[in-house]
Amino acid sequence: MLHLAPVRLLRQSLLLLRSELRQELRDLELVLTSTFFTLVVLGMFYLSFAALEKKHTLPAVPGLLWLTVAFVGTITLTRAFDREREADTLRALLAAPVERLAIYVAKAGSTLLVLLVCCALLVPGLASMFPAGQVFWDMPLETVALVVLGCLGYVAIGTLFAAGLAGGGGKNMLLAVILYPVTTPVLMFALVTTRALLDKNPNLPSYLGQMAALDVILLGLGALLFEPVLVGAAPARTAQAARQHARQSLRAAGREEPR
Amino acid sequence: MSGPREPITPIVLRSISQRFGRKVVLRSVDLELRPRTITGLVGANGAGKTTLFLILAGLLQPDGGERQFGGRVVGDIDLELRARLAYVAHAPQLYPGLGARANLELFAELRHAAGLSSRPADAVLRDLGLPADALDRPVSTFSRGMAQRVALARAVAGDPELLLLDEPFTALDARGRSQLAGALLAERDRGTAILLSSHDQGTLLRVCDRLVLLEAGVIVREVERGGDDPAAFAARASEVLAAVGPDDHAAA
Repeated sequence: MLHLAPVRLLRQSLLLLRSELRQELRDLELVLTSTFFTLVVLGMFYLSFAALEKKHTLPAVPGLLWLTVAFVGTITLTRAFDREREADTLRALLAAPVERLAIYVAKAGSTLLVLLVCCALLVPGLASMFPAGQVFWDMPLETVALVVLGCLGYVAIGTLFAAGLAGGGGKNMLLAVILYPVTTPVLMFALVTTRALLDKNPNLPSYLGQMAALDVILLGLGALLFEPVLVGAAPARTAQAARQHARQSLRAAGREEPR
Repeated sequence: MSGPREPITPIVLRSISQRFGRKVVLRSVDLELRPRTITGLVGANGAGKTTLFLILAGLLQPDGGERQFGGRVVGDIDLELRARLAYVAHAPQLYPGLGARANLELFAELRHAAGLSSRPADAVLRDLGLPADALDRPVSTFSRGMAQRVALARAVAGDPELLLLDEPFTALDARGRSQLAGALLAERDRGTAILLSSHDQGTLLRVCDRLVLLEAGVIVREVERGGDDPAAFAARASEVLAAVGPDDHAAA
């Protein structure tokens, strides 16, 4: 007897997320690349801007924070479907009795965790390096809410596009090109809210509320479009796979490929 | 579906057509897959076999025609249907960093999470001849033949009513092919409808109850094992297979 759809979705999402994390913990490929990149960027920011006065760093800190998130997010999302793409396991998941939405939740969840790990280095780093970032220490709950909401919005829309481009050739470059325009609204929202946090703006809860609302919209959009985007990418992948398959079969049979 | 135990077989394709851009891959294909029957799908590379498999597995929406499962016309292959069919592609589609057991257990857990049953991974892998010391080795260290067995084990673990096998004998040695053929016959005897594509003509002749020849997206010939005269079936099937070309494993 099949479980109800929400139960299936929850349980399968957790299973796929656990599998993602286990595989990531085995080789630490994404975490190491992303954290190393974050540390390098922090070092560069420090060498470039540490000598500036507080009033000059105040407008810069939000940009430094979300620019780094955007770059780390691109690194993470371009590789989010690599395991599935290399071994074609995405198609095995799509053919299995798995809620397609669970794949989205797991991918977005694992990407979010990688981003949060990087932010766990980035935010204290910025707070230590720049006097303007001291507010991050002073208002820890608000800072955590800001970072989580900003990263969540970013992965909600980014995972959707990463899935859509999981099939074709040259996809990583294309994803990087597409990601920046589609994530700009989230990043802008996050930027403005960070500035409000650093200014200790009394309307900060309202800013955070608007970010949460944007996240809900983007998550809803991602959930709604993920399956059509993912399965819609299949024909391109199918044609490509069929050509590759024919080449492999011809090679195995020791015959020349017709031109 | 009105009830989970209503059979999804026979599966009937009517006037299925598919094109990619300007290239027409399938033209008005009619095909019936019956329970307890292994149907061999043969054809040259590029004939449209893989596309037909993808349409049956629900990974591709056909441009035209209809799919019937158990007498019911189906638009999308939903989760309930996917729970009752299994697809083994030309590539094993396994997580390379995980072991054979872990690969099977992941999909078994996903089935359990949906309220579906699955056979124990170790037993299925053992039945398909995977050595016990290979169960926990990463699949990336496996030969193609071993990986193919794991892929088949994952497929049959859920006791599917429809088993779609796109060139499962690729890269298998003679012993592996024989084991796999035995496993397919056992699945058929369990009542499964099986669609099998392969260039291994010897094994096709041995296991198939029907052979369907696909040429440039069109089914041009079908032969069926009558039961009374195996020699007559072998002769007609050989004619069909001769139309495809030389046997990949003839020299093996």
